[in-house]
Amino acid sequence: MTRATAADEKSVHRRLMRFGEAESLTTPMWEERDTSVHAVAQHLGSLWDASSSASAESEPVVAEKGMPHARASVLNLIVTVVDDAAADRVVHTLMGLGVRHPSRAIVLVPEPGRGTGPLDARISTHCNDVAGGGDRVCYEEVVLTVRGDAAAHLSGVVAPLLIHDLPTSVWWPGDPPFADPVFDQLVEMGDHLIVDSSDFGDLLGGLRRLANVRRRSGVGDLAWERLRWWHELTAQFFDAPRFRRYLPNLSRLHIRYALAPAASRSPQDKDVAPAVAAPMTQALLYAGWIATRLAWRRHRTLEPLGDGGFRLRLEGRYEMVELLVQPTVTDEVDPGELLSVRLASVGEAGAAQFIIDRERDDAIVATNADGMTALLRRVSMETPQEAELLSSQLTMDVVDPLYEAALRAAAILLACAREAAA
Amino acid sequence: MATRTADAERAGERRRGRARAAAPTEVRPNPLREGLRLERMAEPCTMIICGATGDLTDRKLAPALYNTLLGGFLPPEFTVVGFARRELSDRDFREHLLESINTHSRNRPVKPAIWESFARGIEYHRGDLDDPAAYRELAKRLDRIDRDRGTAGNRLFYLAVPPNLYPEIVNQLDRAGLAAPGERRRSGSRRGWTRVIIEKPFGWDVDSARTLNRELAEVFDEEQIYRIDHYLGKETVQNMAVFRFGNGLFEPIWNRRYIDSVQITVAETVGVEGRSEFYDQTGALRDIVQNHGLQLVAVFAMEPPVEFRAEDLRDEKLKVLRGVKPMSPADVAANTVRGQYVSGWVEGERIQSYRDESEVSPDSETETFVALKLGIDSWRWAGVPFYLRTGKTLPSRVTEIAVQFKRAPLTLFARAGVSQVEPNVLAIRVQPDEGILLRFGAKVPGQGLQIRSVNMDFRYGASFAVDSPDAYETLLLDAMVGDPSLFTRDDEVERAWEILDPILTAWGSGEGGPLHFYAAGSWGPPAADELLERDGRTWRRP
Repeated sequence: MTRATAADEKSVHRRLMRFGEAESLTTPMWEERDTSVHAVAQHLGSLWDASSSASAESEPVVAEKGMPHARASVLNLIVTVVDDAAADRVVHTLMGLGVRHPSRAIVLVPEPGRGTGPLDARISTHCNDVAGGGDRVCYEEVVLTVRGDAAAHLSGVVAPLLIHDLPTSVWWPGDPPFADPVFDQLVEMGDHLIVDSSDFGDLLGGLRRLANVRRRSGVGDLAWERLRWWHELTAQFFDAPRFRRYLPNLSRLHIRYALAPAASRSPQDKDVAPAVAAPMTQALLYAGWIATRLAWRRHRTLEPLGDGGFRLRLEGRYEMVELLVQPTVTDEVDPGELLSVRLASVGEAGAAQFIIDRERDDAIVATNADGMTALLRRVSMETPQEAELLSSQLTMDVVDPLYEAALRAAAILLACAREAAA
Repeated sequence: MATRTADAERAGERRRGRARAAAPTEVRPNPLREGLRLERMAEPCTMIICGATGDLTDRKLAPALYNTLLGGFLPPEFTVVGFARRELSDRDFREHLLESINTHSRNRPVKPAIWESFARGIEYHRGDLDDPAAYRELAKRLDRIDRDRGTAGNRLFYLAVPPNLYPEIVNQLDRAGLAAPGERRRSGSRRGWTRVIIEKPFGWDVDSARTLNRELAEVFDEEQIYRIDHYLGKETVQNMAVFRFGNGLFEPIWNRRYIDSVQITVAETVGVEGRSEFYDQTGALRDIVQNHGLQLVAVFAMEPPVEFRAEDLRDEKLKVLRGVKPMSPADVAANTVRGQYVSGWVEGERIQSYRDESEVSPDSETETFVALKLGIDSWRWAGVPFYLRTGKTLPSRVTEIAVQFKRAPLTLFARAGVSQVEPNVLAIRVQPDEGILLRFGAKVPGQGLQIRSVNMDFRYGASFAVDSPDAYETLLLDAMVGDPSLFTRDDEVERAWEILDPILTAWGSGEGGPLHFYAAGSWGPPAADELLERDGRTWRRP
């Protein structure tokens, strides 16, 4: 039983749509082994041709009043995965995405040195009835298994299949091969590179590489997107002027994040918890965010990295700050998710503590400042599905200065913690 | 060397900072807020709902508050006080809101833990809305809330009551010292503000609208008054500004040189449904045209504002309304059609005649349908007719603005047998499925030359499928943030009445043409079609 059940998918749909139910309709798949890019392009072209047999077999894509209905496409999405299993997982995620970001999705499975022909292709189209309108949004996905030498020239395979004049996003799930020329090739083709830094095998190397990706576009990170609510709740503490005065005197930041129990940590057991190669990522990005926003700088390592935790001393504008990052073994939330954040302030403004504690799908938010009432409240904090994360990354401006600054700071913090360890 | 100097500076700053940090650093913006996506957070405040046990609270306000909370737009300090006559405890009131949300909210059921936490900030204040003592007690309660919950003296009064109670409530608030505008900060915003939201109808005619505005103005500054017109909270209406001013393509053709005519349709499928007494005194012109109808015209036709700010926007809207000249009785007879429905079928259900409704007089002359031809005397719009129609028991529920462009000047394809090319149409749909559609001609593939109109269709649902907030959510948050852009100003309201008064008068005196009848489930009386046919045009079938 995979985690992503049909019920999950439906709930993603609902949350993405918020308009009601989306009725999904998938045309019979076109599948061909040992084919060519040209044949794939031709088939894609014919898919939307009302007179072609491909669409005549299924329900015709015609809107009300007999008007041919334009296909909805807002972007090209290139996805590169390591194997067929990963491709299936991606296709599943894209299903949840389609309604919100109708795209031509091209999923590439490079398999250098296997098989005879250069290319296996699988094309399916999906149509969703948009509630209320009697209208249909259609989009397509192409899964290409690229073999032999062609696997080293993926950009050439993809280029003829893109829809012109649409923004192109490159999503690289898992651990991208930063050193491989193919990575640069594909990133060059897109306006927007999306990764999940929680999946990086070499976190420090990955973060550094990401901060320096040569590109004409921006970088998005699902690990950063998962922090969205944490950012929001943290900022909310200091929206109130009476608490803002504690900001300059923050002297401690304590972050706890979730680590999977040892039993479920084996890589084979993906169903229990998704494998997360670098569970510390979110904690680092969060710390990097605060540090850059409040102009904290590296100063000294108090406890080097060990067992996923470390303690650093940072130099704030007005105070020295202690940063403590600690893992906690739990199966209540996905590994890598933050469990709690505590910001403490001393100084003449008085002592204060700002606390966010995660409890499964909720968070308890509390403020303790002397002379003030503690405000305690519970807010919703559901772990978003991958489709939701991807979807909101695709909506954002491609360049996110906040993220880029946090990313660089995260790399510095991690390097600091490591240096002393070595 | 440079580094050492910088370090020394920082060390100095640190020392100074310790001393300085004791003083409030309020002027500084929150550095953690910068760049985050939720930039519109409500300020800490208390929202007082006057008439909290009514229908509006159940159907709109409670769900809107809950969804705003889920969206993360409400600060932790946010507090709700329900104020009404009914004997309820805090707990009863919370239960009541919870039930409303579970019935009407787009996000439901309510998550118990979230609700429990939010509900701690919900109170009920029992009292008669005309009892001074109740307001004095309310003032004390609000002071206590400010102290306990840190709402900083910011108060938003929502008058969810019939308009005839506005003057009484407003005066009571004043007498209890609850109407102060707050202290102005250097940034222009206010500390300890009071704002009041009122619902339409804003008056009955020019005189009553002026009286109401004057009565409000005796107590509140205009900037404290938020007149809600929920149509302006709809995504498409806001998008109209983006569509026009955020694209280079459309604004150059947004004028009399390229636009042939504009049709605005606000169609409802329902009859008067339980509002018959109110409706029989109101009619479609007052109920829809005075507010939604003319506001749609204004947003559609306004000049680019100097800045995208509330006052500039409202100045431009007012200019449009000032360009709409009031009609003479003869104009009314020629350019307006009023109708009333008789029994028929809508959506497969039988609808009885309007005059058979309970509480409607059997010889009622109230219009349930209006079609108008308006002109805007401005450089941009002179000579472009704006056709506006609204009605009850029409075949479908739809609100749209359709722009018909002028035909291509020459029929180039006449020799190929194409006698006429259809004009381009741009339709802006406000509801139900918000979006924008462009219709243009394309050649039908083949040897011959045939032209057929095709649609280029943009739908919010399709392109974004985002959780378009309900209009009330947008507007409530606007009022909490202090952005009145999407609310109507006093002079706009009065001008709208100045446009409609002559029509009401002419209809009343019989000079404005007869009342026509139409079957429920039709697109209004034939006279409405004739209004356009005279000009060589036809209504769109939306």
